[in-house]
Amino acid sequence: MRALVIDDSRAMRRIVSGTLENLGFEVNQAGDGREGLDVLADGWVPDLVTVDWNMPVMDGLQFVSAVRANPAYRAMTIMMVTSESEHTQIVRALAAGAHEYVIKPFTADALRDKLALLGLLPQEAAL
Amino acid sequence: MSTVDTGERRRAADGRPVITELIDEATVQSIAEDAWTALVGEDEFLVPVPGELPADALSSWVDVVGPWTGSVVLTTARETAADLTRALLGDHAPDELEDEDVADAFGEIANVVGGNVKAALPGPSGLSLPDVGDAPAVRNPADVCRLDVLWRGQPLTISVQGALPPLPGAQPHNEGAIPALPENGASL
Amino acid sequence: MTLTATSFDWVRALVHKESAIVLQPGKEYLVEARLLPIARQLGMPDVSQFVESVRTRPDPDKTRQIVEALTTNETSWFRDGDPFTALTSTVMPALLAARGPNERLQIWSAACSSGQEPYTIAMLLEDSLPNAATRVAITATDLSREMVERTKAGRFSQLEVNRGLPAPMLVRHFTRAGTEWEVSPTLRRMVSASECNLAAPLPRLGPFDVVYLRNVLIYFDLPTKQAILRRVRDLMRPDGWLFLGAAETTLGVDDSWERVVIGRSSAYRPLKGA
Repeated sequence: MRALVIDDSRAMRRIVSGTLENLGFEVNQAGDGREGLDVLADGWVPDLVTVDWNMPVMDGLQFVSAVRANPAYRAMTIMMVTSESEHTQIVRALAAGAHEYVIKPFTADALRDKLALLGLLPQEAAL
Repeated sequence: MSTVDTGERRRAADGRPVITELIDEATVQSIAEDAWTALVGEDEFLVPVPGELPADALSSWVDVVGPWTGSVVLTTARETAADLTRALLGDHAPDELEDEDVADAFGEIANVVGGNVKAALPGPSGLSLPDVGDAPAVRNPADVCRLDVLWRGQPLTISVQGALPPLPGAQPHNEGAIPALPENGASL
Repeated sequence: MTLTATSFDWVRALVHKESAIVLQPGKEYLVEARLLPIARQLGMPDVSQFVESVRTRPDPDKTRQIVEALTTNETSWFRDGDPFTALTSTVMPALLAARGPNERLQIWSAACSSGQEPYTIAMLLEDSLPNAATRVAITATDLSREMVERTKAGRFSQLEVNRGLPAPMLVRHFTRAGTEWEVSPTLRRMVSASECNLAAPLPRLGPFDVVYLRNVLIYFDLPTKQAILRRVRDLMRPDGWLFLGAAETTLGVDDSWERVVIGRSSAYRPLKGA
């Protein structure tokens, strides 16, 4: 399975990518929403996108809206991974079309639990 | 009429709470501990003991803009910030850390702590991208919630500090009429 | 005093046996950090003395605390979600058809820990039944008073709600309370929590239509497992449903149960006349 990790912090990109690679994902990275859209436009369409909220150029919410407006990306699962943790913010992200929401700070186990909920892990790996 | 200042009257009058009315050090510490446990390592503890920061300490911060406006600022020695970066990156740390790596990782920790501080405050508020450098100045000493800790024996401070100077005549026990200022939460 | 090699090896072996999780050498600090709060609570000066006391005088309650403290997965919401899927897909429809419209269904979360299991059940029912709050009552019990108090409070840290709780359910059923999240009053009214030691004679509870008794039996020897299953059975309706942990079964322990496969999980039902 493929995953695109979008975060303006490269430390955070490395952490999220490392966890996903350990779970068997082939991972690509982008530093903001616009770069993320460019990766998709190049034809590299992943099963999962993890996306930060606050980023320069194009933020995560704008990215989610742009992806949801394109029927070609309908099969993609989107998970926000952000320190934005107010109730209203989570509601906004889900309303825009994100499937899941992970609040920073998170552990590798938390990421794995969410992927299991989304059916993006084989059952054995979920436990 | 009672002259005892409970904070309620002041809030109602000027519409601008100071941070100590909204969050305490214990809350900031629990937020920081969660961030450290999850990101830095599960055996990484923050010991609430003050230490002396070097003069050329490095800060990272995010701004919160809303009913309360200010910054969440982390400050520590440059070497400690580099150690934090190595701990955060773990196996993915490069052999030679560049300044950019430290700015990025230290900034991300400010983002994580700041985002959770913001969520514990009255909202809605906006969160800025992180910045790294010399700490922003304290504008109002009464509008600061500061936590001093040791991480691996090295001093680190987390300061949640207002961005606005004190209101004229906003001291406690002030009996005079307080001029109404425009709500500063409108910037979101 | 730091953890001795003997204590560490004993803890490693215990955790491996009960959870299949391997603690690598070098994780002594993790054992220290996770067990220190328990040792302190029991009035022990350090982790080594606590571990030695349990090693030399086996105690299922303390053993369970050690394993739980070292296996963080235990607190995940939908961990091993199949028994919850089975509740809404099969068990509830069968019970609703069998019971009168004014009968209140009784569900027991028999080792509720800090409350994730009973509130998971409450959320699922609230989302799938139009009148869940009046139709269902959930009894949550745990050995530990602290866990019972936490369940009653219904407050969870950021890190706890990050663990396997679907975001749509988080925003539907929880509100922010400072740095924590609090379950809605509706859910809290559905759940009543109290202390209960499963290894001793049980208080007068139930009768229950559904019992969740997950990851409890693994900590006990065969005679105690049998006694617990018998006591639980006495508190269940004859057509009730029992869910055990994924690694647990009544087979070879107590033959008065019938195993029913539901999707990817199994439930156990009292055998008639047994």
